[in-house]
Amino acid sequence: MPTLTPDVVPGLIATGASARLDEDVAPTFKIGDRVEMKNINPVTHTRLPRYVRGKTGVVERDHGVFAFPDTGAHGLGHKAQHVYSVKFSFRELWGDDHAENMYLYIDMFDDYMKAV
Amino acid sequence: MNGIHDLGGMDGLGPINPAKDEPIFKDDWERRMFGLFISCFAGGHYNVDEFRHAIERMDPAHYLETSYYEHWLTSLETLLVEKGVVTQDELAARKKHIAMEDA
Amino acid sequence: MPHDHPHPHNRPLSDVELRVKALESILTEKELIDPEAIDLIVETYETKIGPRNGARVVARAWSDPAYKERLLSDATAAISELGFSGVQGEDMVVVENTDEVHNIVVCTLCSCYPWPTLGLPPVWYKAAPYRAKVVKDPRGVLEEFGVTLPEDTEIRVWDSNAELRYLVLPKRPDGTDGMTEEQLAELVTRDAMIGTDVLTAQ
Repeated sequence: MPTLTPDVVPGLIATGASARLDEDVAPTFKIGDRVEMKNINPVTHTRLPRYVRGKTGVVERDHGVFAFPDTGAHGLGHKAQHVYSVKFSFRELWGDDHAENMYLYIDMFDDYMKAV
Repeated sequence: MNGIHDLGGMDGLGPINPAKDEPIFKDDWERRMFGLFISCFAGGHYNVDEFRHAIERMDPAHYLETSYYEHWLTSLETLLVEKGVVTQDELAARKKHIAMEDA
Repeated sequence: MPHDHPHPHNRPLSDVELRVKALESILTEKELIDPEAIDLIVETYETKIGPRNGARVVARAWSDPAYKERLLSDATAAISELGFSGVQGEDMVVVENTDEVHNIVVCTLCSCYPWPTLGLPPVWYKAAPYRAKVVKDPRGVLEEFGVTLPEDTEIRVWDSNAELRYLVLPKRPDGTDGMTEEQLAELVTRDAMIGTDVLTAQ
């Protein structure tokens, strides 16, 4: 790619580089599904943080198809897949001594989840 | 990777200490670093996932002790060396040269 | 011996300063970067892109119910109606604070933040203590910001761990009925759009 010059800067900043992909990939899950985050511990890049691994949540929103960072960080391609907003209760994440009306929402890729 | 960057739920890291007012960049080197990041990204030298992963591979103690822009600097150096854009020797020699000129 | 450099000469350059200068100088020599592009990038984020942009979005949503509906259903498009778009705001989600619900945004794995509407993140947002604590003890975090919410307020914490970026639509303060959009925008703080502040009409 060419060297970034000042004339290109405003357009670049105003456009960015979306990780959303215009690919027709079927979703594995739908809104309302109960899903368990896989217990994976790769030594490579992942956006599945430890604190939700093995935890069960509910699919709240389907954000559409995105590039998968776990492969993208290692030259292994986009592996296009759906990303969902998944809702967890604090009690599920941290235990029953947490208040009932607290929730964590996190964006999860298809590859991170299995049906409950 | 189960690295130091994966901080969610960790205890004992101290107070948040939000500053009332702070400059967008606290030093000129942060300005240059920010621009270098954008420029090298636009130049296609790495993607954002590689960039994040190179931060995650930092020494954990160094990670916790340093600021965001130093994380970026470390990641940029790591990736540009790994991809053969610059060499460690080039960077070290230029650093030494600039330090001598500054003295 | 006198010599010319652009920095005040009361201390030697630090290690990070030397590393950044070395990188910039080598990459410039290899013609892989243009220092003038860096100048323009820095100027843009120091003068044009910041939380005043987000405040305009919020004020518009408070003033125009149809806009608010678009903002909550397709945030990226609604925000770009006001001219804000691009790097680190390519795919936006807006979440609404109400009498019943309070939202807070974090990036536990790094420092993801909606640049077009909020500018570059404050130091505390990127640092370990906030990222570690807010997903486990958000009320404790809010206390550190001087904010106490009623026990029965539902709290939703959004971890922007992937490529979506989040903006909180704060609750419109009471007593602001007669205000213009411009006056309303003045009330909106950066932290309220992250979720670590609640607004009052002063």
